[in-house]
Amino acid sequence: MGPPTTTTSEPVATVGAEVAGLSPPAGNAPSASRHRPRVRLLLSYVVTVLLLITLNFFLPRAMPGDPIDALTTEGTPSYVQDEAVRSEIREYYGLDRPLLTQYGGYLAGLARGDLGVSIRYNVPVTDLVKERLPWTVLLISSALAIAVAGGWAAGVHSAWRRGRGVDRTLMAAFLALHSFPVFFVASVAVLVFSVKLGWFPLSGSRTPFSRATNPLWWALDVGRHLVLPANVLALNFVTSQYLTMRASLVGELGSDYLLLGRAKGLPERRLKYRYAGRNALLPVVTLAALHLGFAVTGSILVETVFAYKGMGRLVFEAVSFRDCPTLAGCFLVLTFVVLTLNFLVEGLYSRLDPRIAA
Amino acid sequence: MTPRPALVSPLTVLGSGLVGAVLVVAVLAPLLSPFDPRELTGDALEAPSGRHLLGTNNIGQDIASQLIWGARMSLSLAVGAAGLSVAIGLLVGVTAGLLGGLLDVVVLRTIDVVLALPRLPLLVLVGALAGAGRVTLILVIALLTWPVIARLVRSQTLTLRRRGYVIAARGFGGGLGYVARRHVVPALAPILVTGFVAIASNAVLLEAALAFLGLSDPTAVSWGLVLNRALNHPGIYYTSAWAWWLLPAGFAITLTVLGFAFLGGGLEPVFNPRWQRGATA
Repeated sequence: MGPPTTTTSEPVATVGAEVAGLSPPAGNAPSASRHRPRVRLLLSYVVTVLLLITLNFFLPRAMPGDPIDALTTEGTPSYVQDEAVRSEIREYYGLDRPLLTQYGGYLAGLARGDLGVSIRYNVPVTDLVKERLPWTVLLISSALAIAVAGGWAAGVHSAWRRGRGVDRTLMAAFLALHSFPVFFVASVAVLVFSVKLGWFPLSGSRTPFSRATNPLWWALDVGRHLVLPANVLALNFVTSQYLTMRASLVGELGSDYLLLGRAKGLPERRLKYRYAGRNALLPVVTLAALHLGFAVTGSILVETVFAYKGMGRLVFEAVSFRDCPTLAGCFLVLTFVVLTLNFLVEGLYSRLDPRIAA
Repeated sequence: MTPRPALVSPLTVLGSGLVGAVLVVAVLAPLLSPFDPRELTGDALEAPSGRHLLGTNNIGQDIASQLIWGARMSLSLAVGAAGLSVAIGLLVGVTAGLLGGLLDVVVLRTIDVVLALPRLPLLVLVGALAGAGRVTLILVIALLTWPVIARLVRSQTLTLRRRGYVIAARGFGGGLGYVARRHVVPALAPILVTGFVAIASNAVLLEAALAFLGLSDPTAVSWGLVLNRALNHPGIYYTSAWAWWLLPAGFAITLTVLGFAFLGGGLEPVFNPRWQRGATA
């Protein structure tokens, strides 16, 4: 018996990669979930969601003063001078009641889908989220598709020629790519492709004030606005896709089926993409889902640069107006969506791959 | 046993060169910068000249000086956040690994929960509520990243605990505290160094992203804030100012992050035991 290491069977994952989000967080890693009972997974998920909700409730209240102070002090758009009016507002929102009562009311509200009212727009935050969330979903899913496709092709090629010049060049290029801040890449992309070349619109998610009578025209318009942001966002996490694909395919290289295929005289291209490429795909697909958290971070920044009308832009607008209810609502919705998808993917993982279902 | 990779690889040299350069600029900022970064020393949007190496911004501040002082902000934040995060991770990881039992279970669950939180949205929320001062950012980044270190430290500690020399030390009556100090912590140095570098680079990016979103002490001088001001300037893309206002700040951030990434990438094979077990794929 060797030393009891827990890590020998895992692919080489570096500390650096883990912090930078290049490898999946091991708490949610597929390799770990195989051995983890479903119940514990569910429990961990529920605790995380509860923690988030609690955090969202207590954070504003843990700050000096109270939420009303934060919203009505001098310099904010919603400044209230009169102390009596302030205490009335405080009473109206129930902020003078005990903390636990407030917490109960908050949970009850959440259960009804009540996220509070936006200070800037004076409409329920839930309505804002309903309007913006589809755009972010569109942006992130297109970006993920591009990143998976690009990372897959480059990863297969790199692994096939591992250790050679192509492999090293690709590796260095992808690592360098990962170091560019996404908002910087985004603004350079606007400069080059929209301003200098004029290929794509400067900003927005569709042409304002346009009345789409023709669905085809509408789809084209949305697509044209989507190209730049989706590609920039894809660049943000294509590196992790590439690294995972490369590692996964290197693991396939010694397989019997490849040897047999070669013996049968199958063409190299077919072996490379149809055989090895397909068998090594699973970790990449899983990673794409588990990386949604990073996609959300990226989309906040990308949407801000492109004035893309999604959740990220909403977060940015809420920040500039110190619109705390909207900000807290966005935070809760985004993290909740990410956690739920992570949980579902983790649960589904073993069903996706028949080889580990046992 | 594969031979130990050379300590001085090209990556390490390149990485420490880049990080070293930023460090020198940050330390010598008062000597290097031609102007006070907050002072209005020229006309609005002056093109680069002998007097203003990178021109001026929309209110006439010297951009080169802002970038030089910005290095201070980025680096101090990175070092502070990474230092604190490694310290917490080390403490929690070693304690959980050596004591085991219920504490270990609680620590593992906590790690899972904290790692599941998306970092930027949470930072934005805290920044908007509590203000995005340097100390706040250091605290929050450290609180969000320590689990990465703690998990690695814990699993290393578990394997170290079974090594002969540690068992011997325990057998001769060495207490847990003694074993931790004398045997465990020194053996963990590689993880701590690479973890420090990785978190530092992540902190630089996070600070820049927050300042870019407009969450920053408005009187501070930082790279992200330069980008934020430049992009909020109406019509920045239609003047030539982007070339000296937008690009240099973006490259400053990129080169710093790249420097940390190279340093980490170069050090990892030397330090990480997993790379030496024939994992040369």
